[in-house]
Amino acid sequence: MNLTTDIYQRIAAAKVYIDDNYHEPIDLERISQQAFLSRFHFHRLFRQVYRRTPHQYLTRKRLDKAKDLLAGNKPINEVCIEIGFESIGSFSVLFKKEIGFAPQYYRDMEYKKKMEQSAQPKKAIPHCFIENYKLDEKRIH
Amino acid sequence: MVTKLSHTSFFVTDQEKAYDFYVNKLGFKVHTDVKMDNGMRWLTLNPPEQPDLEIVLIDGSGDVSGMGWDAETQQALKVLLEKGAMGAGVLHTPDCRATYEELKAKGVHFKSEPKEQFYGTECIVTDGCGNWFSMTQPKEM
Repeated sequence: MNLTTDIYQRIAAAKVYIDDNYHEPIDLERISQQAFLSRFHFHRLFRQVYRRTPHQYLTRKRLDKAKDLLAGNKPINEVCIEIGFESIGSFSVLFKKEIGFAPQYYRDMEYKKKMEQSAQPKKAIPHCFIENYKLDEKRIH
Repeated sequence: MVTKLSHTSFFVTDQEKAYDFYVNKLGFKVHTDVKMDNGMRWLTLNPPEQPDLEIVLIDGSGDVSGMGWDAETQQALKVLLEKGAMGAGVLHTPDCRATYEELKAKGVHFKSEPKEQFYGTECIVTDGCGNWFSMTQPKEM
């Protein structure tokens, strides 16, 4: 089914609303209001356009943000609140199910990787870049 | 036998602005973000569904003499970037019109609106840092 520009704009506005408000307790009612569509109609159109439900998209958005925050070594309880989860238990279970690691393990692993990269950045860069871009040399200002 | 592309470089006028475009607007993931001994920021990103492709965002606006380029070459690059003349490639999207509306709502600039082509639906998006891309929804076979 071809959608009109107006419908695309409404669905996109609702997606942007999720992107901007994922940390708030938002539900289908509030999201569909951004598109000025009924919940049923909005749910069907969102799924048609993005091939996932609004809830699936919101959950993925929150988990992606959680990954970023955990990689920055943020405590799990703070991450949980920042991404809009009320319970650490349900966050941990969902994170492990979707990402494949417990939040604590993921945080330790990513933070360690980050620290290693900061300490020895050249290990993360192919040698051809180091040589051709002269990354070894001090710049003269 | 060559099997795939693992690293490629985009020169940009401003790394921080480019970070905002590729990470916050397009949803690319940060792979490596470290400061080198010569002061250069080594920033690489993965497209959302291509974790094995690293895109190196290189600041081409300032002093790139550290990369062994002469003044004439630096100036030529600067001029091309300031004109927004660097065509960096083709981005795939599952729904060109939806992504166009979503990015437009987020303040992204386009050189052209979505149009039907024989290979799919396409518009031209700019990163605001010297590069333009085709953003294409390939035709379903």
